[in-house]
Amino acid sequence: MLNYRNYLSYSEKYIQLAEEEPLDKLKFLIPSILLSWIAIESFINNIMDDFSSLPEDLFELHERGLLLEKKVIFVDHGSDMGKFKIGQTEYKRLDEKILFLITKFGNLNKPYKGEALWQNFEDLRDTRNKILHPRRNIELELTVKKAYKYLETSKNIIQFVSTNVWHKKISF
Amino acid sequence: MKILFEKSAKKSKGIERLVSRFFKDVSTLESELDVPVVIFQDGVNNSYYVKCQILASVASKIIDLNAKINPEDAESFRANRELMLEHTTYLKMESDALKGREFNDIIVEYNLKYDKDKPLKVWGGQHRAYAISKAANSANHYHGFKVYFNLNKNQRTEVALISNTNMAVSDDTFDRMLEETTFGNTLKKWCQKIRFLSLKEDFPDVGSRSEKITVKLARSFIVNYYKGLDKGKTIKTDDLDKNIYEPYVTETGVSIDPEYAKIMIKKGNKKLSDKGIIEAGEKFLDLHKTQYKKVKESPKKIKNRKAYRNKALVVSVLCSWSYVAGLLQNHKARLLNHYKIPKTTSKIPDPLNAEEMSNFKHDSDPPTYRGLGTRQSTKDRQRLTQVFLAKSLTDTCILDKRFLQKAVSTVVGLTTLKKGYV
Repeated sequence: MLNYRNYLSYSEKYIQLAEEEPLDKLKFLIPSILLSWIAIESFINNIMDDFSSLPEDLFELHERGLLLEKKVIFVDHGSDMGKFKIGQTEYKRLDEKILFLITKFGNLNKPYKGEALWQNFEDLRDTRNKILHPRRNIELELTVKKAYKYLETSKNIIQFVSTNVWHKKISF
Repeated sequence: MKILFEKSAKKSKGIERLVSRFFKDVSTLESELDVPVVIFQDGVNNSYYVKCQILASVASKIIDLNAKINPEDAESFRANRELMLEHTTYLKMESDALKGREFNDIIVEYNLKYDKDKPLKVWGGQHRAYAISKAANSANHYHGFKVYFNLNKNQRTEVALISNTNMAVSDDTFDRMLEETTFGNTLKKWCQKIRFLSLKEDFPDVGSRSEKITVKLARSFIVNYYKGLDKGKTIKTDDLDKNIYEPYVTETGVSIDPEYAKIMIKKGNKKLSDKGIIEAGEKFLDLHKTQYKKVKESPKKIKNRKAYRNKALVVSVLCSWSYVAGLLQNHKARLLNHYKIPKTTSKIPDPLNAEEMSNFKHDSDPPTYRGLGTRQSTKDRQRLTQVFLAKSLTDTCILDKRFLQKAVSTVVGLTTLKKGYV
């Protein structure tokens, strides 16, 4: 099974291929950027899975909904009428999951959304969205330098979450 | 003081002078009692030496642990290996020295060509020499030295080599000796009763080379069973899965593990005879035998590796399994499930799924992590305890990849909650 380390290494490999390619660098830079994003996604989803595998009563219902990526619904009929319960799948945004994890377990006192790390993450997210939702009028301006920056951002976000949730640094 | 040459030693005025100077410079028991000293000559390399007794307080000031093979060469490095001051054998040595143990056969060379303040260059027994130096202030006893004189480079090298060659005694052998000395045959008899050992068989000298239970493993099984039993009495069945458990690994080597000793002393005449621990041992042996057999019989599905065959005997597996066996003694339905051997399938031929365990890695593990049930680390013991605990929830469990992932996720999640839940 692939993990974040695999995705990061594939991303780097694609950047190296882009460096060697004289003409059409985009064909390597696009997968590289997606893989940098997937590395974060894989890492965060697996942490969410760690928590969702715990006994149910260790989390509030709305927290479990987020961990399981499911809706919390109000039941208006049947034996559970009048209660809240976990409903169908509702995918959550990656940045929301990160915010939940670091706020829940990180004991962070200071705002971090204005800091360079988060700005870089948002930049990566925007580029990833442009790749995944292409439009005629959206120009992709990708360079090897940018791809390296996104790879670094991916590693930094993973390290940031690891330090705040597991209270330890990981090696890549 | 009278100095004699042993009858097979060739007389040498130079050596006699050196020996005489040594006894003038260094206070020894022989010089204090004015008894004759005999000079010996090695039959192989012709080097000369005497045997004498020196007080720790005297020796500590003049021994040099940085002995050089070539004293004339300023570039020559110290020849001895680094001291292993954390090694259990050294720690025991130091503790004994502090209590007044006298050591013998410390091999030194009397050499004034470098570091003259410390003329006794240590070639053999550097740990003993260091231990007595440390203990000199509290236990000032005489220790036996073999002092060489006027060595040439070749003789010096040979003395260094022969002084540092020994038959390594394994911790397993120490364990076996100490076990018998302290508690007699109780542990061995228990293992024979269970059939971990056959009726006339003893524990192996070196566990890593055998495919048998060692003293350390048997002790760990017992300690964990009773630790689990005590813990299980304090937990409601519904809360069993909300904890991280940390099975214990007994110490090995030159001292008896304190937790094991505590149990053996507490149990008195009824040592290891209660029904629960005998049944647990038998069930564990069933698991081990099935694992062994399945790996051996399925060469096309799993490599017939010793590590796979003996997966149940890996420290972390054995400790975790026995801990859970104790923990569930008061939770009978789950105990029965725990005692059931995990199911196998066409893709998973062995009950412990050794290959999958070895390939296992969680995101929080370093790239060098070697998989579940391969080491005895705390992390591994915690994880495997959760594997067996989760297995005890049903009677039809297969230890497949998904199951292992969920069990480890639970441990990681619980650990994180414990650290940072707000």
